[in-house]
Amino acid sequence: MTDRLERLINLVIALRETRRAMTAADIHERVAGYGQPDYQAFRRMFERDKADLRDLGVPIETVALDASDDRSAYRIDPRRYNLPEVALAPDELAALAVAVQATGLADEAEGGLRKLEVAAGEPGTARMVKRSPLGISLDAPHREVLVAAQVSRTTVQFRYRPLGRDAATRTVDPYAIVNRRGRWYLVGFDHDRDDRRAYRLDRVEGVVRPSGDPGAFAAPPSDIGVEDVVPTPPSGAPDAAQVLATDEVAWQVARRARGGGEPGPRRWTRFTVGVRDPDEFASWVLSFGPDVCVEGPAELREAVMTRLQAIREASS
Amino acid sequence: MTRRPAGALQRLERVLTMVPWLLEHPGATLDELSQRFGAPRDELTEDLDILGYCGIPGYGGGDLVEVSIFGDRVTVRMADFFSRPLTLSVREAVTLLLAAHALASVEGLAESVPLRRAVAALEQALGAQAARVAVDLRSDGDQWLAPARQAVANGAVVHLTYRSASKAEVTERDVEPWSVVGSGGGWYLQGYCHLAQGPRDFRLDRIKDLRITDRSVTVSPPEQPSPPVYEPGPDDLAVTLELAPAAWWVTEWAVIDAVQDRKASKRVTLRTPSVEWAARVVLQLGGDATVLAPPELRQRVAELAAQTLSTYEQAAI
Repeated sequence: MTDRLERLINLVIALRETRRAMTAADIHERVAGYGQPDYQAFRRMFERDKADLRDLGVPIETVALDASDDRSAYRIDPRRYNLPEVALAPDELAALAVAVQATGLADEAEGGLRKLEVAAGEPGTARMVKRSPLGISLDAPHREVLVAAQVSRTTVQFRYRPLGRDAATRTVDPYAIVNRRGRWYLVGFDHDRDDRRAYRLDRVEGVVRPSGDPGAFAAPPSDIGVEDVVPTPPSGAPDAAQVLATDEVAWQVARRARGGGEPGPRRWTRFTVGVRDPDEFASWVLSFGPDVCVEGPAELREAVMTRLQAIREASS
Repeated sequence: MTRRPAGALQRLERVLTMVPWLLEHPGATLDELSQRFGAPRDELTEDLDILGYCGIPGYGGGDLVEVSIFGDRVTVRMADFFSRPLTLSVREAVTLLLAAHALASVEGLAESVPLRRAVAALEQALGAQAARVAVDLRSDGDQWLAPARQAVANGAVVHLTYRSASKAEVTERDVEPWSVVGSGGGWYLQGYCHLAQGPRDFRLDRIKDLRITDRSVTVSPPEQPSPPVYEPGPDDLAVTLELAPAAWWVTEWAVIDAVQDRKASKRVTLRTPSVEWAARVVLQLGGDATVLAPPELRQRVAELAAQTLSTYEQAAI
């Protein structure tokens, strides 16, 4: 173990400090810890160390020595090795520590958090933060492969089953991973539809596979975010509704309302509520049963009444 | 996600993070290092000893890192190549951004504002290395997150005014809070309910009022708290529904006994603690669910629909 630690430290220093990229033979000859007599054994050891260091985030670059030569050489560009200038304030570090703990990501994030602490001159901040009673799971399906593809700009393929339709293979340039209200989505550019689309990750069947080479697409547009996965109402559809609520549930309706309520007919209180998705709105209204009633506009009111009539007929 | 095997790689990562700090703090004590970097003193001493044998190929005088440990004090020199920590790996960057975006999106947490600043600073520093992540966990009950969390932290009983899913009227109850947990897009306060005399989950958006009392909790939380998903009991009612595709999400959210796929619909059997609760769910599904059994649920759904429709006729302007 200690031999390996020493060898790895020496390899990182050698590749960082070398003027020209080093070939495997250079490393065999010059880097402490790699000089064993059996060259094949050295190659296996070096390949394993190289892969592990890259996995740790050490940016080992492969350089082709010249066009006629198929030998590779290796180096570490110090500018890519060094943590970029980022100095977080103590309250920002502490908040990050709470965030990784609450999301169950503390183990995975520990190393990264410590680097940021050192950059801010205060290693150990996260360890002082008291355990928070908050907890939320952020385990996105297929996260690892999607993130790797996103960062390396590699197109992916997967089988996708839209609601109530048959599964089909999609070919997508992955732009962003989005969570809205507990659901995970991939936002990306769909090759067959030639347009930006959002996919629910729980409707992906089987595995997500990289397809083709890294660097296959340009930097994604910068305006991607949660808005991409919010259903958009058909154009011209109303974006607000007047609803009436009984005293029992008025407090709950008020939290979604624009402004406060006003007295409505008889025992009702009237609220104005924003509508983004008519189906979601109808479902929200119906969740209150007889305690909420849509006053207008007529099309939203009728949409809810039509549903109620269908339910009454189907159940009688 | 798999964790890296403990050992040389983990210790390498620690060395690459610790040395930049040591270069700026000559004479730091082993105790301070142990505390700040969360590792036992003897392990750190060993790492530093090994570092003293490392350097630039040639490994002559002036090529090696200088490490001196005098008594308890550590000084590292001649290691300018390690003056900055190793950059964040893709995995570390995504993990940090994911966690930060998640809590930053929630209104009313003390951490939201500093987290938004941290996200902006990180994304700017990482540039193209930052994977794009967006999280929106806002929900209607966010205002109770901070007080609920405070109550858990202080071990204080809370008094809730709460409307359960199956009723319109609210109830008053004392709850010994254990944790605040997010699941399926909503936040829940988990704890021991004195009214129900058992453990219960309370969705924050159904809380009308939450008051922290000056009484301390007496019932300790279970060692393995269960996630806030409804778990059917043996006396629960079995309900069979026919679901149109628009209502299939129910199968991902409720505990389902059996699913039968038909041409354009699914038949599912699930268990429910009360007819009223199931009737409200069916109503919410707005015609995309039909009750096949039991008859009393069918009847209650028809009643609820008729009663709700009649309010439209009465309230008509």
